[in-house]
Amino acid sequence: METVFTQYAWLIPLFPLAAFILLTSFGRSFKGLGVMVGSAASLASLVLALLVLFERMGEGVEDYQDGFKWLDLSTIQLNIGFEVTNLSALMLVIVTIVSLLVNVYSAGYMKSDERITVFYGYIALFTFSMLGLVLADNMLALYIFWELVGVCSFLLVGFWYQKPEARAAAKKAFIVTRIGDAGLLIAILLLFWYMPNHALDFVNIQNVFNEQTGTIAAGITTLIALLIFVGAVGKSGQFPLHVWLPDAMEGPTPISALIHAATMVAAGVYLVARTFDIFQASQAAMDVVAYVGAFTAIFAATIGVAQNDIKRILAFSTVSQLGYMMMALGLGSLTGGIFHLFTHAFFKALLFLGAGSVIHAVHTQNIHEMGGLGSRMRITAWTFGIGALALSGIPPLSGFWSKDAILNTALHENPVLFGVGVVAAFFTAFYMSRLFFLVFAGRPKGEKQAHDSSWTMTLPLIILAVLAVVTGFVETPWNNTLGTWLSGGTETTHTGGGLVMVISAAVGVLGIYLGWLMYVKGTIARDAVSSRMPWLLRLLERKYYIDELYQVVFVRGLRGLGLLLQAMDDFIIDGIVRCVGGAAVLLGRGGTRLQNGQVQTYGVITLLGLVILIVAIAGRRFW
Amino acid sequence: MFNVSLTGEFVAFFVFSVIIISGAVLMVSFTKVVHMVVSLAAVFIGVAGMFVLLNAEFLAFVQVLIYAGAVSILMIFGIMMTKHQDVEAEKGRSWHEALAAVGALALFGLLFYAIRETEFPVAQPFQPAQDNALEIGKLLFTGYVVPFELVSVLLTVAFIGAIVLAKKEAE
Amino acid sequence: MLSSYLTLAAILFCIGLYGALVKRNAVVVLLSIELMLNAVNLNLVAFSKYGAVPSLTGQMFTLFTIAVAAAEAAVGIAVLIALFRARGTVNVDEFDEMRR
Repeated sequence: METVFTQYAWLIPLFPLAAFILLTSFGRSFKGLGVMVGSAASLASLVLALLVLFERMGEGVEDYQDGFKWLDLSTIQLNIGFEVTNLSALMLVIVTIVSLLVNVYSAGYMKSDERITVFYGYIALFTFSMLGLVLADNMLALYIFWELVGVCSFLLVGFWYQKPEARAAAKKAFIVTRIGDAGLLIAILLLFWYMPNHALDFVNIQNVFNEQTGTIAAGITTLIALLIFVGAVGKSGQFPLHVWLPDAMEGPTPISALIHAATMVAAGVYLVARTFDIFQASQAAMDVVAYVGAFTAIFAATIGVAQNDIKRILAFSTVSQLGYMMMALGLGSLTGGIFHLFTHAFFKALLFLGAGSVIHAVHTQNIHEMGGLGSRMRITAWTFGIGALALSGIPPLSGFWSKDAILNTALHENPVLFGVGVVAAFFTAFYMSRLFFLVFAGRPKGEKQAHDSSWTMTLPLIILAVLAVVTGFVETPWNNTLGTWLSGGTETTHTGGGLVMVISAAVGVLGIYLGWLMYVKGTIARDAVSSRMPWLLRLLERKYYIDELYQVVFVRGLRGLGLLLQAMDDFIIDGIVRCVGGAAVLLGRGGTRLQNGQVQTYGVITLLGLVILIVAIAGRRFW
Repeated sequence: MFNVSLTGEFVAFFVFSVIIISGAVLMVSFTKVVHMVVSLAAVFIGVAGMFVLLNAEFLAFVQVLIYAGAVSILMIFGIMMTKHQDVEAEKGRSWHEALAAVGALALFGLLFYAIRETEFPVAQPFQPAQDNALEIGKLLFTGYVVPFELVSVLLTVAFIGAIVLAKKEAE
Repeated sequence: MLSSYLTLAAILFCIGLYGALVKRNAVVVLLSIELMLNAVNLNLVAFSKYGAVPSLTGQMFTLFTIAVAAAEAAVGIAVLIALFRARGTVNVDEFDEMRR
């Protein structure tokens, strides 16, 4: 089949880049420009991405790669180019859809913000970086966009920089992900060193690691895979680098949806999927990925139960779901991971945008201060409910199918991880029902007349809700479209059949039922557990004291080191500088005292100078 | 260097050295200016004695005449005409004095070291002229006639200049 | 014998130098300068007898030096008198015209 649009896939990131440049250059003078330009660019990207996707749906489409020489160092060539595979085509669509909807949504949400054009510029820049990351055909280009994504995250989390918390969160996000970025950079350098011809493009990486010819030693392979995973851990908020993601909720809510739910954190998962061949060459690395993912899934899910901030709950849910994806990848199921990424992007964006709508209406983020919003904000409540059900894994919504695919793989590969996944799914269902019932059910609290937001905010919610319902059907036990398409027919999911589906659905329903009993019916007291085990509640509320631990171990240690260095700077370096300056001043003062106009003083100085001169000249014979 | 036989020249040199050095030291250490001038005259006379020892009788004569006579008297006139504050004021300039002393001592050390280290060529025996004044006069009016005339001009200029400077300015 | 004369002249010169640098009274400074001139004269005459080529040249030089020194003394005293008239003092450390 002829590829027409795929050749122009490189245009997809350029629309948002153009929008960014336009908004940065002229945004100050035209206030209304942001919405139009940003949305138009996203729309153009989406249309092109969809065309590319449809083109790739055809039979026997070859991966398309093109690029140009960037650096030619005679023996080494570095290229910049783009490559369209089924995976990247899918990611392009996810990113552009969410980006477009967030653009539309922000028109309402950020309406009263003074810096709205700047905001749109940042979003455009972020979309550009993410699309570039997806399209990159080699590790170096990917790394460049990877860092750009990090910068955008910093800018957007700290968008309301007047708030100290936002500043701190932006800094934290940047610094913590930097740890992961360092790992990725080292991995790239190792790849550069060990790959034949120093090739860094994915095609060559794929070939080298697929053939298992021993071109690269097993230890090095594991090391590279683990370092890449460190990068993914940083970006995707996996334990132990998850701490930045909940704090990043200080940013505007559309940003939380765009970056911290649907796309940027997916970059880590995408990276692992893109370099999946390296991981498959090393069983140890796969195990690490699977266990870290599983641990993160249950770890974040339990924290989510005890949080009170609507966005933070969703943030921990994101961390938990990303853990699911990592677990799927670690268990060897590329399809499972990407499928969950695909569905999660929509329902998590939906949940965040819904949460934004709620926050917009009631001006608080504490779920205990909300309640009874269901009757006043019908669209938000319905769409949020769909998202919550999808996240909880209730059939036939999309989250059910993707979670089912992962659990199926887990059951076959590693029953322990299957158990972990099921427990995490239970907690997920429980905290989502808690969240939903506390916010939308019960009696209204607060005096404010909350009502649904304008169409710019509700329209994206509806679209996302539809997507959250239907996207699951691309990969069901009866229909292996996505898996066949992504992996070229080599991988099948849903082989376990009914058992897993029943367990998964049952766990979800059970979690929701428990939440209903606790928070609506009141059959079980809300403090049934916390009153008996207050330490557990505190532990969960404080997020297992991970932040405090980091504070003590790293921040204090580094601050101590910094103080030491500062003291050194103040006393030793500055001391030397002051000494030099003081010496010059003293010399000058001495000079003025010498210059007293008296011939005899001049005479003495001349005499001493003469003596020194003679000694210096005559003394030469002694050495 | 000091293993010189006890000749008449050595004894005379020793005596004159004592006069010169003690005169110089006294001049520096005296507080009254008039005393200084007197000890300075002693130094001049000692130097004149040295000139005699060095077979320069005419110079010795000139030395006594000009230095011990004219210059000393001139200095005394200077003292009298400037100020009868003839006692050196004692004021703290200790740093200055110490540095000057160190410098002077160091210079002397260097000079002494240079004198001791230098290998002077063995001198041809000096044939003192029968009449030193005659020889000098001959030289003055033959080889050194131009400098001699110049010195006379210089002296005249100095003489006029001194008068002009020292003269009380007209009302 | 030559080095004895030279050493003596060096002593004389250094004492004169010290006096010239330290003494306050301008007249005494002039005296010290005369001392230094005498040390030089002594050197010249010593070389004229004990130098490598003994001759009367050293003595001729000394003669001229004495003449110039006499002129210097006369002018120096005249300057001092003029200064004294202008400033009322002959203390060297009160003259700091060079500072301005």
